[in-house]
Amino acid sequence: MTKRTAITVAWVACFLLFAALPFLIGRYQINLLTEIIIFALFGVTYNLLLGYGGMLSFGHAMFFGIGAYTAGILLTSVTGTPFWAVVVCAFGLTALAGFLVGSLLLKVKGTPFALLTLAFNSLFFAIAFKWYAVTGGDDGLSVKRPNIDLGFWTLNTSDVSTFYYITLVVLCAAILACWYFTRTAMGQTVLLMRENENRMQFIGYNTAVSRLILFTFTACFAGLAGAFYTLHFRFVSVDAISVNMTTMVLLLTFIGGTGHFAGPLLGSAFYIYLQDYLSEYTDRWPFFMGLIFIVMVMYAPGGVSGIIASSANWLRERFRSSNRGIEGT
Amino acid sequence: MEQIFVFFLHGLAYAGLLFLVSSGLTLVFGMMDVLNFAHASFYMLGAYFSYMVLMMTGHLWLSMLICPILLFVIGALVERFLLRKVHSGGHVHELLLTFGLAYILGESVKWIWGNYPLSITIGGFLSESINLFGVTYPVYRLFVLLSSICVGIAMALILYKTRLGIIIRAAVNDRTMVNALGINVPLVFMGVFGFGAALSGLGGVIAGPFLTTSPSMADDILINAFVVIVVGGMGSLLGTVAASLLIGELQSFGVLLFPKFSMALIFLLMAVVLVVKPSGLFGVEQS
Repeated sequence: MTKRTAITVAWVACFLLFAALPFLIGRYQINLLTEIIIFALFGVTYNLLLGYGGMLSFGHAMFFGIGAYTAGILLTSVTGTPFWAVVVCAFGLTALAGFLVGSLLLKVKGTPFALLTLAFNSLFFAIAFKWYAVTGGDDGLSVKRPNIDLGFWTLNTSDVSTFYYITLVVLCAAILACWYFTRTAMGQTVLLMRENENRMQFIGYNTAVSRLILFTFTACFAGLAGAFYTLHFRFVSVDAISVNMTTMVLLLTFIGGTGHFAGPLLGSAFYIYLQDYLSEYTDRWPFFMGLIFIVMVMYAPGGVSGIIASSANWLRERFRSSNRGIEGT
Repeated sequence: MEQIFVFFLHGLAYAGLLFLVSSGLTLVFGMMDVLNFAHASFYMLGAYFSYMVLMMTGHLWLSMLICPILLFVIGALVERFLLRKVHSGGHVHELLLTFGLAYILGESVKWIWGNYPLSITIGGFLSESINLFGVTYPVYRLFVLLSSICVGIAMALILYKTRLGIIIRAAVNDRTMVNALGINVPLVFMGVFGFGAALSGLGGVIAGPFLTTSPSMADDILINAFVVIVVGGMGSLLGTVAASLLIGELQSFGVLLFPKFSMALIFLLMAVVLVVKPSGLFGVEQS
């Protein structure tokens, strides 16, 4: 069995495990898992920007928020919007928003890029906060999940497990699409852009266009995660588009590790379970979160996936050296 | 007409406060290029420490003396034992570290002083109002403006007229070279970071009686301070002054003219400046 098949088998096993989980755990845990999958997709898109593209964005929540609000507004003001239409509209609108914002940001990079994304995020936040008639401002919007009519069978989305399966299938497909993107020629140019942009320009690539494609791509998938966020909580408020949401995705991506595609998946699980666990014991959970971040930045900058990778390496080395020891005697 | 003058004064007072906070950020972020998200937390700590000092002694000048010193020590310790160790990891690591720090400081403040606004009252001449060109205006707001002008002049003198200022500017420009000339650059940077924190703390002391002292005060000013740095241009003291004035007035008149969009105006300004001139109004174009 080659390494590649081993990895594929591991992923399929992981997916099957997630598919089997609703039979084993309670409603609360299923809800938590749904949330983890949603933030895993959000984190994966963020990692495409940060880990793969080397672009530090402070405004990724604007796309998450636009997706979330698109879903929220469609479900409250247009009666009878089908489930798929919500998802498709959120995806399409955030793609458009990503393209427009991205084209304004093409020239800048580094710190100005980070701060400009922050400015745009705050701009969208201000709109969501003040445009009470449409977004509900501070009060937010409460929505009802529409059922999915497949013609021969209606999926009852208010059932926790059913919604979990829908999320699992749709968002895992999206995560797979992101993974596929990193394997395409386009995805490889993103890596090249991070490593040596000058050289890439000399070879003849238009780095601005590559950056715009990457930005739009990550934006629309973040929007998809946002739409599912609204559907999951049946509620959307300014939280979804706030700077805190960007902070959250930045932190969970970093905790998981930016060096590996699976980092944000682990990070999402770690972050949400930790938050859930800490908030049960203390109201001051951000204090401990802050402490954990500082310790991680200082002692484990590779994140959870970095820790796993280095301990696997350590085990392999140990195994090898003990074998050599036997040969020597 | 009178109303416009009053709002102009409000804008000036807010600009003064903004300048106090962002002048520290100019040193730390603009010059040293450290993305410090905990900067506004130092400002908040300054306000809370000042609350304690005022409770005990009742003298504002005493707290304007003590609190910046305390914040200087805290800032220097943070630089020495936390930031310096992650500097090689680049912006992301510094950012996350200071994020964590901001979380910790914010929660500690809630823990110690409670999650509600505290009101600081000061007596004497500062709490009165005077007649200024036909309008009655609180003295304290003029005092805010005056203090920020003093700090601005002092900073300009230190940075551009003293040997220490030359060393700081040289160290920012070429760290290795200055180090090779026998100057302890890490010590200089520790001092500059501490000084930035002290300025932010002073801003907090002055903001206390002017705005409310609450755990959310850090978030309220942080983004505005970053906007000031970016609009003014990284590391430019003159740019910081200009951008503080611009944003202070924009905030003040935004509330008067378009109350619904006052928040969006500032970010719109920042977006326009960055798209048109990415290095900021007074920033040096980087190749």
